[in-house]
Amino acid sequence: MKISRNWLQAYVDLAGIADADISRAITFLGFEVEQVIRTGAPQLDNVFVGEVLVRNKHPNADKLSVCQVDVGPVHGVKTIVCGAQNYKAGDRVPVALVGAVLPGNFVIKESKIRGEASSGMMCSAKELAIAEDAAGLLILDGRPELGAPINAILPPGDVVFDIEITPNRPDCLSHLGVARELSAWFKKDLAYPAVSFTPAAVSAAPRTDLLKSVRVEATEDCPLYTATVVTGVTIAPSPDWLQQRLAAVGLRPINNVVDIGNYVMLEYGQPVHAFDARKLAGAEIVVRHAVADEKITTLDAKERALTAGMLVIADAQKPVVVAGIMGAENAGVSAGTTDLILEVAFFKRQSVRATSKRLGLSSDSSYRYERGVDVHSLDEALHRFIDLILAHAGGQVAGPIHRVGGDIPWQREITVTPGYINQKLGFDIPAADMKAAFEALELAIVREAPTENQGPSWTLAVPSWRDDLDRPIDLVEEVMRLHGTEKIPAAVVTAPGLVGNDDPIVLFNRQVADALVGQGFNECVNYTLRAGKEIAAWAPAAVVADLALANPFVEDQSHLRPTLVSGLLESLKLNQSRGVAASHLFETGRVFVERNGQLVECVAAAFIIAEASGERTWRTREPADFYTAKRHTETIAAAAGIELGRQPTALVAAPALGWQEGQAAAAGDIKHGWTATFGLLDLAHLKSLGIAGKVYAGFFAILPERLTGEGTRRRYQPFSLQPAALRDLALVVDNAVSAAEVQKTLAKIARAAVNNAFALEAVNVFDVYQGKGLPEGAKSLAFSLVFRSAERTLTDDEVNAVFTKIQDELVKTTPYQIRK
Amino acid sequence: MQDQLSALLAKAGTELSALATRPEFEAAKARYVGPNGALTALMKQMGSVPKEQKPVVGKLVNEAKTQLQAQLDAALGRIEAAELAAQLGPAVDPTLPSPDRLPGTHHPLTLVREEMTRILRKVGFTVVEGPEVETEYYCFDALNTPADHPARDAQDTFYLPAAARVGNVSKKNPDEKYLLRTHTSSVQIRTMLKGEPPIRIVSPGRVYRRDTTDATHSANFHQLECLYVDKNVTVRDLKALLDYIFASLLGKDTKTRFRPHYFGYTEPSFEVDLSARHLPKVNKEWIEIGGCGMVDPVVFKDVGYDPEVWSGYAFGMGLERLAMLLYGIDDIRYFYQNDIRFLRQFA
Repeated sequence: MKISRNWLQAYVDLAGIADADISRAITFLGFEVEQVIRTGAPQLDNVFVGEVLVRNKHPNADKLSVCQVDVGPVHGVKTIVCGAQNYKAGDRVPVALVGAVLPGNFVIKESKIRGEASSGMMCSAKELAIAEDAAGLLILDGRPELGAPINAILPPGDVVFDIEITPNRPDCLSHLGVARELSAWFKKDLAYPAVSFTPAAVSAAPRTDLLKSVRVEATEDCPLYTATVVTGVTIAPSPDWLQQRLAAVGLRPINNVVDIGNYVMLEYGQPVHAFDARKLAGAEIVVRHAVADEKITTLDAKERALTAGMLVIADAQKPVVVAGIMGAENAGVSAGTTDLILEVAFFKRQSVRATSKRLGLSSDSSYRYERGVDVHSLDEALHRFIDLILAHAGGQVAGPIHRVGGDIPWQREITVTPGYINQKLGFDIPAADMKAAFEALELAIVREAPTENQGPSWTLAVPSWRDDLDRPIDLVEEVMRLHGTEKIPAAVVTAPGLVGNDDPIVLFNRQVADALVGQGFNECVNYTLRAGKEIAAWAPAAVVADLALANPFVEDQSHLRPTLVSGLLESLKLNQSRGVAASHLFETGRVFVERNGQLVECVAAAFIIAEASGERTWRTREPADFYTAKRHTETIAAAAGIELGRQPTALVAAPALGWQEGQAAAAGDIKHGWTATFGLLDLAHLKSLGIAGKVYAGFFAILPERLTGEGTRRRYQPFSLQPAALRDLALVVDNAVSAAEVQKTLAKIARAAVNNAFALEAVNVFDVYQGKGLPEGAKSLAFSLVFRSAERTLTDDEVNAVFTKIQDELVKTTPYQIRK
Repeated sequence: MQDQLSALLAKAGTELSALATRPEFEAAKARYVGPNGALTALMKQMGSVPKEQKPVVGKLVNEAKTQLQAQLDAALGRIEAAELAAQLGPAVDPTLPSPDRLPGTHHPLTLVREEMTRILRKVGFTVVEGPEVETEYYCFDALNTPADHPARDAQDTFYLPAAARVGNVSKKNPDEKYLLRTHTSSVQIRTMLKGEPPIRIVSPGRVYRRDTTDATHSANFHQLECLYVDKNVTVRDLKALLDYIFASLLGKDTKTRFRPHYFGYTEPSFEVDLSARHLPKVNKEWIEIGGCGMVDPVVFKDVGYDPEVWSGYAFGMGLERLAMLLYGIDDIRYFYQNDIRFLRQFA
């Protein structure tokens, strides 16, 4: 809200206080000052109204003139050299005489310009700092008196503070409210406007032809409505001071009645409204809900369709105001208006807000109703409205004040002690300062009683405009504000020992990030909200539908992400299109996946490795493949306490959703708490995205509740210091048989053959071969068996005996053939 | 005998010095000192040497044996050296860049988040997490945000459809809607409902606003909030925490100041400004950095803590904003584009 310093001066004497100090006060009272704007003319000494008597061309310069300028009887006629072109003899202009100091510290001296003497300067609006830009001299209209100080002609200077009023302080959406705060801060008296109107003083005969009655049908949404008739007004421009105040805060002056309405609203924070009484049909005002298909053309010249439930002020035929928001064009005050109906009402904030939202129409009035106006200041605002109308538009009050609605009771008391306040603050503010703060904010102490050790117990009456104050803690803030939040004394943090460990999710993310960064990956952060068509490649259609937001803002951010991979591909694409080398990217974050017909929020991590990194190096390194992706995925799973290598792993089942069939595998199932997919991404999909080259990826998601943080402490396992005995064995198996299955079978047989005589330490695949020398559809898997005893060096004989037994058993019980 | 030995040594000298490989060496070695070697054969003749000559001949044979061994060692040494030399390529050009990938990088938001949580851990805060899909209760109701508050508007907050079901995000009331949390304060509520005071937590996380994306706004961004609940927590304690955080982050001469403000879930409430030297691209003395306040008694009541017994403070700030300030980044969108040239600047 824009607050004018000149306007504030009407209620609190701020003379002599620097603008910066006022700005600071507003800031520390709790209202952010967004801008300080200077308007009007600054104080300009030695600048007077002058008239150009003669304008002659400068003998030595084409663009200059030598003028004789009459600056009135006191200063006489001056010779002034001037470069402007927009004036002629007879024009009156501002003249800065020798000794004047113009804004920007520009001192006017006697001078010679191209050989011609010049004693003074004729000024532009810019040189007087009353306009940003000026094409030439400021030509003064209306032939102001010669020799008059220029400040008497120009609009007075003002400083406007554009401040943000927090939602808890609707009382400060008014000059009076801000003045009250400043009076408390600077410890100055607050002067309320002198209101002279009283309903009892109305003597003219009621004009029941204009307004006979007010009927409020929607009492719930309009708890109090007041209206009265003023006849015989003259529509004219407002007085200068009023126009200047409105202009200063950014309102365009229109006419006296409209301006006064705005003025009262900006003074009290109470919206008011004036209709042309003669434009109303009938003599009754009805406050009711609109009926379907009613229409109104509001003052902004737009026709609006009302819907049932919207509160309107209506005459016998039509709605004339959308209550609390905007009046109708055809009932407004215009040049010929003579009789007014003045309305000041209290509308429920929810009602105004709902209507304003549905119509997409808001106004200074609706803004105040939505934030909350003080119903108990309503009568005073009405009386002020009437006072100003009578004073500046003439006329007389013709009839009673129609006042419909119950009186809304207001009584609120809070009891607080200095001990309580200081305890909450953690430092001491003297009780006398607290008392002064309360008084300055018009919180009257209605009772005071001693307490044992908390100081006096004060019971304070909360004024009706401070609905935000309800509890003792609210008064702590009031004391704090007026004491000054800059004065909170320094202290050290006192910290007891840690009570818990970091969340397992944090530990997981940290471990994954550290591990993958260590592997040369760049961590990315992508938006959670993705385009529907993007994630359609990553989730079944039914799940995509479940991931849609109810109210997306833009089309490409309409769905929750079910994977992190699509975001990483977007990042890869961005880098590729910018010609930036990128290959190893990862991200940790939440994803949303389907589980038992419901969405679940999962903790997830994913990476991609692009074959075409865009980087050219003088020596080529081994490219990544499926097994690279597998290893990194294992690393991620390990951070969640899952040993992926020991989990059943199979090729991704169709539909592979973003993954390349036959080249990507999956383990786990979100039904059981976690899922992992890794391998090559679908080549056709990558192509459709415009991504060059193959991309390997891994994705891991786990229910947050499955993460347990740091696992149990590992136990030391003793290991043998004896030498190992190695035997290699190659098995020819069907292509369809997995290495894991063969390994498992072999290990089982070998363990049985060893029969605990010593240890079978490992069974490792060390070669996979297909092709020449093998039957069609078969492959050879070579395993290395490691035997070791805990106590002794194994002899060749005992190892050979076991190895033979293993081979015999393989031949006997499996379809595998031993490759010689 | 002496002649024979001399001839043998001379022959061995020529032969061994010409050896180039280990197999050649082994063969040569066998020819001289193997069971059928030449020197071995001569030594076998020792038996037929007359007794009185034995000391002299023996000495000659031993000398020859020693010399031959020296020749063999020399040959072997030469071959081994040649073998090692064969493993080497030409000398490297140490000025060539390594063709290996550059080290990975943490995202600047991660770096800032981790730095903040490290600072806070030192004064007893533990890091907690909560769901990003939230319900109206945890995001608004429990934080004293009335049902008609504009922040709850579908204009400002993302909602899931009324029929949506999220299996692992609990609702307080069966008919409340799911939404994307607009602040991490919801984590405070879940933490307080789950545990008993005292509580000292920091919750960093992703939040969502229905906003136009531009240089300073983003549909999702990150916040970091602190909550401390204990007996006799004061405004002064809160100020001390803020002073500590920013002095740790930006140096001892960093100052913070409070300005009174309004938040529904704290009373009194403040906005926090900081003043620090050497911040890139900052030309104001005071920069707004976050909001804070003393936990409102209403919030305590709602989670079942007795406000007469417990008091506390909360502080929250935007992580992107902090990162932008610390690094001098002027566009929030850079955090979400992941241009490698951006990501590599902060590691």
